[in-house]
Amino acid sequence: MLQAHSFLWNYLWLAPNVLCLILAAVIYRRRQHKEFPFFFAYLLFVALKEFCLYFLDVSPRVSAETWWYAFWAGTISEGLFKFVVVAELLHHLLHSWPSVATLGRNLVSGIGALLVLLAAVAAAFAAPDNTPRYIGGAHILSQTLYLTEAGVIISIFVFAAVFKIPWERLSFGIALAFGVVWCEHLAIWALVTGGVVRNRGWEDLANGATYHMAVLVWFYYFLVPHKEVAKSAIPLPENDLAVWNRELERLVQQ
Amino acid sequence: MTLAIVLVVAAVLGLVFLLRLTLSRSLQLSSRGGLAAKIQPIDIEAFRNLVDPAEDDYLHRRLTASEFRVVQRGRLRAMAAYVQTAGRNAGVLVQIGQAALVAGDARTSDAARHLVNDALLLRRNAAVALFRIYIALAWPTSGLAAGSVLRGYEQLNGKAMLLGRLQNPAAPLRISAML
Repeated sequence: MLQAHSFLWNYLWLAPNVLCLILAAVIYRRRQHKEFPFFFAYLLFVALKEFCLYFLDVSPRVSAETWWYAFWAGTISEGLFKFVVVAELLHHLLHSWPSVATLGRNLVSGIGALLVLLAAVAAAFAAPDNTPRYIGGAHILSQTLYLTEAGVIISIFVFAAVFKIPWERLSFGIALAFGVVWCEHLAIWALVTGGVVRNRGWEDLANGATYHMAVLVWFYYFLVPHKEVAKSAIPLPENDLAVWNRELERLVQQ
Repeated sequence: MTLAIVLVVAAVLGLVFLLRLTLSRSLQLSSRGGLAAKIQPIDIEAFRNLVDPAEDDYLHRRLTASEFRVVQRGRLRAMAAYVQTAGRNAGVLVQIGQAALVAGDARTSDAARHLVNDALLLRRNAAVALFRIYIALAWPTSGLAAGSVLRGYEQLNGKAMLLGRLQNPAAPLRISAML
């Protein structure tokens, strides 16, 4: 069951991408693609990319080398696309709050630059590999991308948590699923690149299952309506400090 | 091998953080009722006195260098406590304002938006001020300005008062009175 081309393996490769296309259609129907244009485009792109890779994989006329070069091209394009989606999520998080917007953007950009350096160092220390360069290199490339992506998305979550910046529900859902997938993928690719795990079969299934779960999380956030909290006035504590306000007004006017 | 383990541990920590964040977010959404009670009162006059540069000059003139360092460290610790409380209060106000953002009334939503923005600004200033206070703790004779926190706090009080008025016209001063 854990082997390549088993039913589960095929299902976990194809099903999340079919779901991505369905989700893209739902988003388009609800006109939410105007709210999240890059995420919408990402869903279409990643589904098409994975279908292409799948058909290249099962086609007997395509050599392994060609497949790995297609994997390289797809991974690099998808990696760039993900950074654009992250920028879109950061914009959604910060655009209503100019008081912390610049700080947030600078901080996340700075952390992103640091993570690229860290990922380059990690790539330089990758375990030597007996496989052809285009396979070992693809492992290192994946580790590099997921290290940067996971670090950036976690830094956004930390920034929002420290400053208690309110997330919009959809942005939170998209970012959460990305965060989980990228952390899991980072762990798996680090094990593969470090030579701890190779060709065991379960690493592909773990990646596929986590991505499948992430797509279901997106479905939940897009399809399940937000529970409206009762809009009663917040009970404010009783206090007799009207004098306080007078004193503060006096201080402000000084 | 070691690097792989470090990266796996970092990834697992990231996952745990995301899980905790998601849980705390859903808990927060369901328990916003007692938020105002979390605001801790601050003696703003005492804080203003602590950040007054004239006080620093006075102490500098009156005390020997070693005495001044000891006194100044004590004042800086007190200042840090005030700033941390102000930052925490601002965090509570962000949550109160966030809850009020969904109100049907446009004026209340607008007031809530201003309150959240100012509370976020105060949290940012508080973080910067704390950073400077901790540096000054190592070097007490250096000058330090926490005035931006004080000004931000005063402005925030005005925004909280407006939101209180719009949400509950009968008792307009309650949130701001707590600050």
